[in-house]
Amino acid sequence: MKLVIDERRCKGCNLCTMICPYRIFREGTRPNDRGIVIPELDRPERCTNCRLQGLYGRRLCGVCQMICPDQAISWEEEKPYEPRKVVIEF
Amino acid sequence: MSFKDWFREDRLPHIFCTGCGNGTVINCTLEAVEEMGWIRDTTVFISGIGCSSRAPGYITTDSLHTTHGRALAFATGVKLANPRLNVVVFTGDGDLAAIGGNHFIHACRRNIDITVVCMNNMIYGMTGGQGSPCTPPGAISTTTPYGMCEPVFDLSALAVTAGANYVARWTSYHVTELTKAIKVGLDTPGFSFIEAMVQCPTAYGRRNKLRQVSDMVTYLKTHALLLQKKQRMEEEGETVPADMFAVGEFVRRDRPAMGVLK
Repeated sequence: MKLVIDERRCKGCNLCTMICPYRIFREGTRPNDRGIVIPELDRPERCTNCRLQGLYGRRLCGVCQMICPDQAISWEEEKPYEPRKVVIEF
Repeated sequence: MSFKDWFREDRLPHIFCTGCGNGTVINCTLEAVEEMGWIRDTTVFISGIGCSSRAPGYITTDSLHTTHGRALAFATGVKLANPRLNVVVFTGDGDLAAIGGNHFIHACRRNIDITVVCMNNMIYGMTGGQGSPCTPPGAISTTTPYGMCEPVFDLSALAVTAGANYVARWTSYHVTELTKAIKVGLDTPGFSFIEAMVQCPTAYGRRNKLRQVSDMVTYLKTHALLLQKKQRMEEEGETVPADMFAVGEFVRRDRPAMGVLK
């Protein structure tokens, strides 16, 4: 699963930066075309829900989704990684 | 299925200000409704007037947006006309405590089977930040430019005294506890009252040195005192700080309820 912020809904209140136990959300730096500074994701693969939602079959932590007043945070399915052959150079 | 399926996607994003806690309380309520397994056709959301009362407009069920303070009167009518409906009332502190005060007391006394979620943002937000019965002492608002000089109306204590079956209070920071409390309230036959303290950075925080959303949420977090801890402090003779409010489950009892199908 992949953590996404819906840029059309986010109003930049930065509540997610306060509440995430892993501090995945960071305050953004530059405003987007609507003039809203949207939080950035810092290594979102650390999110418990991203890693284990499929295994447990339910939402696990999810406090960022619950506290987001603009319903902007959600998880998306992503394609499983395709195995790639890595060429090691000696 | 999640609570996101209950939103009217075409109406989002909503008009609440940046960092308004009302959106959080809607999330928690819809999550609780979703966990209850209720369906859209038999769930009704009713609201009065105010910021908080815009909430049913964003939910894809039948709803009533009623006159100022009369949401509980309309909810009583809906519940008694068709007791099969599940009725949830969204209301704010100005709607419920000020103009709808008598409806609130008598709805508690009658113990009708409805759930009331009160978003207490301590101010009249929509009309420009006038002082409400829940504005804390000393707070600056449009109508109290030298600081509020009246004591706060404790809505949860009022509901306990007037006879509600389930009363709880949490803040918009405590999302998990709030969701659980609302779910217990929906499950309880009889009048359930859940007071959610929410932040209002635009109308309240801006005048009270809490302009940033994080400051306002930190204020709620640090001023919330767990009910058990408050009772323990009172037993040990310590003084409870006057500006703190108790959070937790105040009462859960089984008085005879009205509007419950036999």
